[in-house]
Amino acid sequence: MTSPTGALTLSVENVSVHFGGLYALSDVSFDVAANEIVGLIGPNGAGKTTAFNVVCGFLRPQSGTVRFPHLGRSDLRPHQLAHAGIARTLQGVGLFERLSVLENVMAGAQSRPGGGVLWGALGLPRSSRGERLLRAEALSNLERLGVAGYAASLPGEIPYGIAKKVAVARALMVQPSLLLLDEPASGLDENELEEFARVIIELGTTTSVLLVEHNMDFVMPLVHRLVVLNFGQVIAAGSPEEISHDETVLAAYLGVDE
Amino acid sequence: MFRTVSQRYPTGFRLVATVVLCAVALAITFVLTPLDDSKLAGGAAMSIVILGLSWLIGWSGQVSLGNAGFMAIGAYTTAIWANHHTTSPIIWSLFLSTVLGGVSGFVLALPATRLRGPYLAGMTLAFSFAVAPLAIDSRSLTGGSGGLFINFLNSPSWFANLFSGSDALVKANAQWPADVAIVVAAVAFFFMANLFRSRTGRALRLVRDNEVAAELVGVNLQRTRTLAFVISAAYAGLGGSMMTLLSGSVTPQTYGLTLSILLLTLMVLGGIGTLSGAVIGGLIYSYSDNIVSIVNKVTGVNPTSTFGANLKGIVFGVLLILTMMLAPRGLVGLGSYLRRLVRR
Repeated sequence: MTSPTGALTLSVENVSVHFGGLYALSDVSFDVAANEIVGLIGPNGAGKTTAFNVVCGFLRPQSGTVRFPHLGRSDLRPHQLAHAGIARTLQGVGLFERLSVLENVMAGAQSRPGGGVLWGALGLPRSSRGERLLRAEALSNLERLGVAGYAASLPGEIPYGIAKKVAVARALMVQPSLLLLDEPASGLDENELEEFARVIIELGTTTSVLLVEHNMDFVMPLVHRLVVLNFGQVIAAGSPEEISHDETVLAAYLGVDE
Repeated sequence: MFRTVSQRYPTGFRLVATVVLCAVALAITFVLTPLDDSKLAGGAAMSIVILGLSWLIGWSGQVSLGNAGFMAIGAYTTAIWANHHTTSPIIWSLFLSTVLGGVSGFVLALPATRLRGPYLAGMTLAFSFAVAPLAIDSRSLTGGSGGLFINFLNSPSWFANLFSGSDALVKANAQWPADVAIVVAAVAFFFMANLFRSRTGRALRLVRDNEVAAELVGVNLQRTRTLAFVISAAYAGLGGSMMTLLSGSVTPQTYGLTLSILLLTLMVLGGIGTLSGAVIGGLIYSYSDNIVSIVNKVTGVNPTSTFGANLKGIVFGVLLILTMMLAPRGLVGLGSYLRRLVRR
């Protein structure tokens, strides 16, 4: 097992979550280092989404801690994540249906200072200049992902693959030090998958990425490290190469009907 | 390609637009009859309340049947203040009523923002029911069921001097309140236009569309919902204050559930969540009696019969149903729909 080098951006330490008597996660620990792409994989019901929700603060673990060592903070609430420079995309796309694509991306910067209600109501230059800059920045993020042409559309009018990129563009508005991607590959076709993998690798040069994924073909060439969950426990962690030869992992995947 | 979204009007444009539209409205009041002036004044006051409701329902997605209650707070604040400080300029009445409206909105928001859909509607409904009895019981403060009276908003002499002829004073005293109401409404609309385009305005729509995603981009759900309530209630307070100034009185019966529902109806008829929708809603309120009398004439219903007396409610009900069916975005939406048809 290779351990991450350099500063950590996420450290999940001995996290346990149970719903009644059912253990969704027991004593789960893993790390993500700076500029590292880590995949969280496992069979259905292994606890991937639960782990993700704990990292985001949607779920409070009964024991254990989620630390963000580079920030010196831990156990953040969902609305604090963006302020702290941590962005998450949602399963599906999670866009705001009645806002244009451009506004959806601008919404990613909602947590920035200078957006007070009084400034807004008075329409002071500070507020409107802020909005203008946001607009430009949102547009450049859409361009970075190659979907700027859809800026004026509503989320319901654009193809699924495009919508997923818009969701990533929105996440980038936080200028994240840690990007959490929830099933980025779901619902994409072959071409879109390839393109999306390139996008994620490119993002990984400037930020840490933790992604939850089903699609092994997509994850394997993409990530630096894999963390494998089964029945709420970490059964293996290491490079894709190591994981693909790991007996326990193979048994877990073969033993469970997907 | 994305011109429509990337080049939004800046604040300066909104300011100029407000001043121009306000000036046009003021100019119109000069040619109206005294009766139409008073109708317009009421419409301007109501449009402020409708706009506040539109902000709450259209932008934050929270339904309120209690905004008449917030109006009552503003209306009584103005009456009580004006009776104790007879020489104080009306701007203080307006300001205080707005603030107290907002404060009462905050108090109601503490429980209300934890509720959704029908439960929220039920809670604000209860507030609507409670206001009149509360006002009747607090006799020493509110004058009980008889309400309170204040001096009419009479025209200052410099304004009256603009008019000549035998009816000069009648006209001036009818037009002055209308002009005041229009200016107050213009200021309220300007602030709201800015809010619509501000980050706060966007925060409301994010919470409305997708709570989880809104939280993930850093929106504090509870705070945003509360803010929507506070501003909506402040606008209702301001509108209520204006109503007291215009009518020279306040009675508890005015501000019950019926008014809350009327507000809702006017907002839907005009168009939810838009500035022009609130203006149209206010205008419909101004001329609702005219609309009803036209229906009276066309159908030949005797206005003094039981049916005739209830005709207003029936007409509004039918209008509401038709709007929901044919133009769910209100008359504003209907306008843009027709424009698209013509262009095609």
